Amino acid sequence: MSTTGTVLRVGSITNQFQRESPLHPAARAFIADAFDRGWADPSKIHGESRQAAILLNEAKEIFAAHLGIRSNQVDFLSDPALGFHLGSSSVLQEGSRFYFSAVDRSEIYALANLHHGEKLSVALDGSIAYPKGRPTDLLSWQTLNGETGIISAQPSEFTGRLFVDASASGAAIALPQNWSTALWNSQAWEGPTGLGVFAVADRSIWRNPLPHIDQRISSSELSIPLVMASAIALEAHTRDYAENRASLLLYNNRIRQFLAAEIGDVDIAGSSNTTVPYLLSFSLLYIDAERLVNELTRQGISVDSGSACSSANMEPSHVLAAMGLLTHGNVRMTLHNQTTLVDVEAFLKTLKIIVEDLRK
Amino acid sequence: MRCPIPIIKLAKALETNPEVTLLSDDPATLPDLIAWSRMTKNQYSIVGINKYLVKSL
Repeated sequence: MSTTGTVLRVGSITNQFQRESPLHPAARAFIADAFDRGWADPSKIHGESRQAAILLNEAKEIFAAHLGIRSNQVDFLSDPALGFHLGSSSVLQEGSRFYFSAVDRSEIYALANLHHGEKLSVALDGSIAYPKGRPTDLLSWQTLNGETGIISAQPSEFTGRLFVDASASGAAIALPQNWSTALWNSQAWEGPTGLGVFAVADRSIWRNPLPHIDQRISSSELSIPLVMASAIALEAHTRDYAENRASLLLYNNRIRQFLAAEIGDVDIAGSSNTTVPYLLSFSLLYIDAERLVNELTRQGISVDSGSACSSANMEPSHVLAAMGLLTHGNVRMTLHNQTTLVDVEAFLKTLKIIVEDLRK
Repeated sequence: MRCPIPIIKLAKALETNPEVTLLSDDPATLPDLIAWSRMTKNQYSIVGINKYLVKSL
């Protein structure tokens, strides 16, 4: 599998600052070929099956190299969200305490209800005081928060089992030394949706929480072509990010500076030292996020929001509320590898006009 | 009333009154009051169910 050569960007995502992105063009260019070559069941022994098994192993090598694990630890989930259960319930035992943080994802909140989890509070700057724990305790730990972009300090003092939720960071943040189970989402590196990568550090302490009759982690059906496309996307995205990281940081700082100087009454999550350059969350005082998002959409600009007015259940983002950040007027931006300074300046100019108008 | 209307009305009322009692059953009001007080350097206290006393400093 190789992605050398010029890649033509097909789906333009200029002015698109929403979390999702189209499939990376390198993966898109490869996907028809992947379906031609990887259709057979890799567990059978005919020629095509052997070829599929070889391709699956090649893909595993790529994931292992980028995610910092061994290829025999790489597993795939066709339902990424299942990984939260497989990663945490699997390493709990009688008497284990389950620690999670107030900014964890709702899937973790659901598991914490099931296992009587102990919620750790989160400070305004995103910092969390982790317990030391006992060897049988479990800590659910995010590499970074997908809403605010704040990178979590590594819980290196924690002595128990560590479930690493890397679903928002992809390969951008390395696994901590003391990880037990880990989950990634293919979407984080412009891969196909509906694919999770899951890993267990030590199978001897891992108990499958799902009904099972063999040693497999998940018996759900797996699309090898999608796995291959995701591996290609991971390689290409990692390369793009290394090239664009410095520019994204510049844009991130530019947006932060503009918001404070030109717009004002704004609550920005974290600082550019505590967040990844490609994510930015800010809340504008006295602004109705739904109206703001609609106005931006009308100008051809997409952003996400964690405000209640723009959510289906009318509840504000539990992440913003837990950190004490303003929950109304919230805008969540993702700076993609193809975002340019022109896109950013156009966004800022439009935002200023809309905010001034809405605040009247 | 839903966010950000309670906070907008509160800020307006505080312009002419040093103390305002806010009644709001919007689930976003308490987290917003916490953030708004920090940002605008005002002070709030919870005085009942969905009832807050806000003082300008």
